[in-house]
Amino acid sequence: MKRRLCLDYTLPTGRLRPHFEALAQGRALAARCADCARVAFPPALTCAACGGSGIDWVPLAGSAKVLHRTDTPGAAFALAAFDGAAGAALVRLADAAAAGRRGQLVPPKDNDAGLWLALEEAEDDDDSTG
Amino acid sequence: MTGVSLAGGAMTPFNRRKDGSSYRDWCAEAFRAALTDARLAARDIDALVIASESDFFSMQLNPAALVADELGLRGIRLQRVEGGGASGHLAVQAGAALVAAGQARRVAVLGFEASAAHLDGGTVGTLYSLSYDAWSEGATGIGSAAIYALSALAFMAETGATGADFARIAARNRQHARRNRFAHLGLDVSAADVLASPPVATPYRRLDCSPLSDGAACVILGRGADLPGTGRGRARLAGTGAANDRVRLGDRPAPGRFRAKTDAARQALAAAGCTAGDIGLAEVYDSFSGAQLQALDALGLAADAVAAERAGRFAADGALPVNLSGGLLGQGAPVGATGVAQVLAAAQQLEGRYHGVAPAAPPRFALVDTHGGIATLCAVSVLEAPR
Repeated sequence: MKRRLCLDYTLPTGRLRPHFEALAQGRALAARCADCARVAFPPALTCAACGGSGIDWVPLAGSAKVLHRTDTPGAAFALAAFDGAAGAALVRLADAAAAGRRGQLVPPKDNDAGLWLALEEAEDDDDSTG
Repeated sequence: MTGVSLAGGAMTPFNRRKDGSSYRDWCAEAFRAALTDARLAARDIDALVIASESDFFSMQLNPAALVADELGLRGIRLQRVEGGGASGHLAVQAGAALVAAGQARRVAVLGFEASAAHLDGGTVGTLYSLSYDAWSEGATGIGSAAIYALSALAFMAETGATGADFARIAARNRQHARRNRFAHLGLDVSAADVLASPPVATPYRRLDCSPLSDGAACVILGRGADLPGTGRGRARLAGTGAANDRVRLGDRPAPGRFRAKTDAARQALAAAGCTAGDIGLAEVYDSFSGAQLQALDALGLAADAVAAERAGRFAADGALPVNLSGGLLGQGAPVGATGVAQVLAAAQQLEGRYHGVAPAAPPRFALVDTHGGIATLCAVSVLEAPR
């Protein structure tokens, strides 16, 4: 028996919409908790620190430091700490051949919603700014 | 204590089925064999709990109703449990809760998945990428191997674990699986073979990864008084626990540590009235070789899991044998069936009737650990040997 299913979703992003609209332009818009001022990027509806649900949107520079990196045959991914945000975020590296440890958020390829990071040249690394 | 015994159980071979059989056939095969093992008939079953992760694999919504009908079960309590990779184990816990609450006397817990043969590997990988935060992590196109690799790298940085440690685990589980007649990937490989296999996502190589499998597994649960021979000779589900963690890896304070397993294990051990030191064998969720070590670390089964691994504590002849079934790496991983099969293997090892690699002497307590996502939703159960 052969079956074929083609699905074309339209997914509303609700209260997180400002983040996704900014992300499409390569801008990092983070959620600052209205109660405790913790900055989350990518944002979440509930603050991980205090449980607050109020969000103030704040722009970040979009620069990040790579904490851990994995290379696959077709792509490279990393856990990266964005300057000005708590915690880390999973990013895809825009150029898998690049070897730097710092990078800048860029618009996602193929109009998708993920975080893409363009690494800077290795000689530009400066951990003291991370 | 749950007061619930495992009356019996059975599983189909886990493999990539290319024989024209369907998941309905596998469910019927596992269910009927489980009934035989439990010395029960279908009419004795008054509740069915189905575990299946994704309708995209089976192309069947509401699978509990469909499977029950195919098994000839009518007028009984039905439910489906889904928790990613933990679906099967969570279904066992849900079935035990039905018995413990007095809502059913004999529950069949049946897990299945057709995750290998129905779709091409790329499509399955795309579906599994939805196991994480599909709006952020999944949207990058990351697959399971890469996200587990990032967690493993964090673990390595914190603990000093190495790729050689992971390779030893991958080889050992494949060797265990060679004695398991239901296993997908029993292989005569060494750690050197693992380290020489093609890279998938640094530090992981192909042989560090569990396979996509098809199959089904079933266990029958009930109180001793409701079972043939009052359940004598059968293992007991002594305690259960479940806990969650942040979904996104980067949101976790320690991305290399499986914190929810710590919470779930604490619950299960407390319910069983024992401590981690009482556990004599374990079946843990080794979707990737490093995940086994991360699990053992989080479950508290050794003060220093990396050192204990290197000292042979978790080998078949060690003080705490782990994954004698071969684990997911060797036995295979048809998602909905995985946790059910883990519980079944641990029970039969405690009962002294396991067909594969068995402990030299069955211990009193065994621990079973399963998770969905990347240890995002964790289920831990403690089983006790028959007295």
